[in-house]
Amino acid sequence: MTAVSSTLLTPRLTAVVAHNWKLAIAVAVVVSAISMAGLPAAVSFWVVGAAAALVAAAFTVNAYRRHYFGALLVAPAIAVLFVMNIFPLLWSLGLSFFAYQANQQTIRFVGLGNYVRILTNDLAAHATWGALINTAMFVVFTVSAQMIVGFLLAILFAKQFPLRKYLLILVLTPMMLSVVASGVFFTYYYDPTFGILSYVINSISGNQFILMSNKVGAVAGIVFADAWMWSPFVMLLVLAGLVSVPKYLYEAAAIDRISSWRQFWMITFPYIRGLLMLALLFRTIEAFKLADLVILLTKGGNDTLTISYHLIRIANEQNKTSEGAAISYLMLFMVIVLTNLYLYLANRRTQGA
Amino acid sequence: MTAMTKVKGLATAASFAATLLVGGVTYASAEEVTLTMAVPDWPPTRIMKKFFDEQYKPKSGNTVKLDVDFIPWPDFYTRVNASLTSGEKKYNFIVSDSQWLGAFVEGGYFRKINDLIDADPELKATMESMHPAVLNAYSTYPNSTPNYYGFPQFPDVLVTYGRKDVLCNDDEQAAFKAKYNEKLPCTGEEIDAMDWNTFEHVGEFFQRKKGDKLAGQVLDDDFYGIAYQAGKGYDFSTSSVHTFVWEHGGGIWDETKAPTGHAEGVVNSPKSIEGMEHFLKLLKYMPPVVKTGTMDIFVSDQLFREGKVAMNIDWIGLGEASLDPKTSKVADKLVFGLAPGLRGPDGKVNRTSQIGGQPFVLTTWTTPEQIKEAVGFVKWWLSPDIQHQFAAGGGQSAIKSVYSDPKYVTYRPWDRAWANSLDWQKDMWHVPQFFELLTQQQDQYDLAITGKQDAKTTLDNIAKFQEDLLKNAGLIQ
Repeated sequence: MTAVSSTLLTPRLTAVVAHNWKLAIAVAVVVSAISMAGLPAAVSFWVVGAAAALVAAAFTVNAYRRHYFGALLVAPAIAVLFVMNIFPLLWSLGLSFFAYQANQQTIRFVGLGNYVRILTNDLAAHATWGALINTAMFVVFTVSAQMIVGFLLAILFAKQFPLRKYLLILVLTPMMLSVVASGVFFTYYYDPTFGILSYVINSISGNQFILMSNKVGAVAGIVFADAWMWSPFVMLLVLAGLVSVPKYLYEAAAIDRISSWRQFWMITFPYIRGLLMLALLFRTIEAFKLADLVILLTKGGNDTLTISYHLIRIANEQNKTSEGAAISYLMLFMVIVLTNLYLYLANRRTQGA
Repeated sequence: MTAMTKVKGLATAASFAATLLVGGVTYASAEEVTLTMAVPDWPPTRIMKKFFDEQYKPKSGNTVKLDVDFIPWPDFYTRVNASLTSGEKKYNFIVSDSQWLGAFVEGGYFRKINDLIDADPELKATMESMHPAVLNAYSTYPNSTPNYYGFPQFPDVLVTYGRKDVLCNDDEQAAFKAKYNEKLPCTGEEIDAMDWNTFEHVGEFFQRKKGDKLAGQVLDDDFYGIAYQAGKGYDFSTSSVHTFVWEHGGGIWDETKAPTGHAEGVVNSPKSIEGMEHFLKLLKYMPPVVKTGTMDIFVSDQLFREGKVAMNIDWIGLGEASLDPKTSKVADKLVFGLAPGLRGPDGKVNRTSQIGGQPFVLTTWTTPEQIKEAVGFVKWWLSPDIQHQFAAGGGQSAIKSVYSDPKYVTYRPWDRAWANSLDWQKDMWHVPQFFELLTQQQDQYDLAITGKQDAKTTLDNIAKFQEDLLKNAGLIQ
C-alpha cells in the first residue's frame, strides 16, 4: 500500500487538482475571511460551512488517491467527535474566562474570575463546596450499595434454580425503566399520605412517618432508588465474570478439599476482579453526575443538592453561562483525576498479581 | 481531467451548502402561516387549542396553523429559556409567565407591541378594557409603564377551595362554634369573609387521625384541615410567602426605588419577618408532605381532590380537575371563596395577593405575516364572545364587560370569587435577574418550611444574597 502511495507526487501549491488540500485550505481561509467581513452572519455561516466542506473534500480525495484507507475509515468518527465533543469542550473552556449570560447580549473578559468566584466567593463558593460534598457522599453511598447488592445478586444468579430465567428478567427491569418513571414511582412510594412506606410504618409505630423530612431520610431515599435502578447493572458485569470461570478449577479444588472461602479468593475473585473494577469505574462516573433523581425526589431540598444539579441551575435556569462553564470544568477535572486514579490502581494490582 | 474533478468537487460542495440553506429556512407562503407556540400544559391552554381548532377562521383568508408545544409546568421555564437563549428561534408566539417579561425583554427576545396596539383601534380598545392589575402584571415592562409586551392569555388568582360536606356539617359547625366562638365558614360568602385566623382554626380543628370521626363518618385515613403551596420547585412557596409579607406591611424589594433600592432592611424588615412567621405557623396544620418541602400547587391540589383536606388555597387554573368526578372524589362537594386576608386591629381585612396568569408574547424574529395572524388570533381570543366561552369552559377573563356580566358567575363555582379578587393582586419582580432571585429565595424558604432555620435567618440570607446580586448587576452601589 505504501509503495502505491509514493507514486502520487505532492502537487505544487497553485496546482488546481482535487487532492491539493493546501490550496483548498488557502481558498477556504480567504473565502471565509471575506464572507465574514462582507456578508450578514446568517449567510457567512453557510459560506464558512461550505469552505470547511471543501477542505474536507480535498483531504478525502488526497487520502483516497494515496490509498490511506485506514485514515479514511476513521475520518467520519473523528469528524463527529470533533464537531460534537471537542469543539464544544474547547468553546466552553473559552467561555469560562468571560462574564457571559446567555439571556443578555454582553460579554466581557474576566480571566480566572469565574473560577475564583465559584471557589472563594462566600455565597457562590458555599454552594459549590456544599454541592461537591453532597456529591462525594452520594458517590460513596450509591456506589457501595450497588456494588454490594449487585455482587450478591450475581452470586445468587450464578447458581441454577427453578424460575431463574424469569427472575433474572424481573431483576433487570429497573435498569431498563426510564429514570423519570422510576423517580415518579419513588415519589409516590415515599409520600407520607399516599405512599405504602409511610402506611406500613404508621400502622406499626402509630406515629406519622415522613421519610423525606430530614437529610438522613432524603439521602437514604435517593440512595435506595439509585441502587434499585443500577444494582442490576453491576450484577450483569459480575455475572459475566462468574460464568467465565472454568468448571475444572472448582473440581480440582474440591478434590484438594479447599474451603469454599479460599476457593472464592483463589479462583473466583481473580476472574471477576477486572469486571468489578469496571463496574466500579462506570458507576462512580455516573454517580458523580447524579442529578435526575435528586430533581425528581427532593428538588435539592434537605441539603441534597449535587454538583450536577447545581450546574443545571446555574447554567440553564439562572443563565450564568460562563460561571456554569467554570463549574463544569471543575467537574471534568475531578472526574478525570478520579478515573485515572482508578486505572492506576487497577493496573498496579494486575501487575502485582 | 483533474481540473474537471476540482470543479465537480466545488459543485458538490456548493449544492450541499444550498441544500443546507434551503433546509434551514421555512417559507411562510401567503396562503399558509404557521405560528409556533410554547405553552404550559394545563386546562387553560388546552381549551385555547381546542377553541382554535374548532372555531377559528382567520379574517385575512389565510390558512393559519397553530403548532403548539405543551410543556409541563415544572419544566416550562427551563425549556422556554433554553430555546430562547440558544438562539434557535423556534417559537414566535409564547404563553409566558408574567414575571419573565424583564428577563426576556432585556435579552431582546420579546417584541414590544406598542406599535401594533396603536395601529389597531380595535385592539387598543380591548387592551384598555382590561383590569389594570392584570394589564400591568402581564403586559408592561418596566412594570406599570406604558411599554407593552404581552396580551393576557389566561388571568389567574389564588382562591380558597372548600369541601361543603365537611364544612357545612351540623356537628362540625357546633363543635367549631364551641371551640373558637366563631362560625365555621360554610358558604362562599362566609369563606370570602374569612381571615387567616379563621383559616388557621380550620386547620387546627380538622386535624383528625385515622379512626376519628369526620362529619359523622369514621375516617379510614388521616385528615387535615388546610393546604397551601409550600414547595421548593419553581415559585411554589414564593407565591404564598409574598402574600403574607405584603399583608403584614413588609416588602420583597424597595418598591419606591425598584429596582435600584437596597434589599437589606426591606426584604428582612421586622414586618416582612412577621409575615413569614405567620405563614410558617400555618404549616403544622397541613398534610405531612409539607415537611418534605415538596408540597407544590399540584400536590396540594391532588390532596384536596383525594379528599384529604378540608380547604386548599390554589390557582383557579387547576380547578377543572376538581370538578370532574373522574379525577376528584369531592367533585359534588365543592365551595369556593376568596383567598383569606389579614384582619387588622380596626376589624377590616387587608388583602394583597401574588397574581398568577400568563400573557401571550411575540418574539422579535416573528415575520410581519406571522405578526398579522397572531394579532388577528389575539383579537379573536379577547373578543367578548370567545372570552365568555373560555370562562364557561373553565378559563377566566380580565375584560371588564365580560367579567361584570351577571352571567359570568354562573359558569364555574369559583367565578364568584374572580372579579372581587382582581383589585388586590400584585406581582413579583419583573427584572432580568428574576430567576436568580427566585431560585435562591425558594431554597431559603424551603429551609424554613422544612424547619431547618427560622424566618429571620431566612430573610437575612435572602437580603444578603439580593444585595450582592444587585451590586454585581450594577443596580446599586
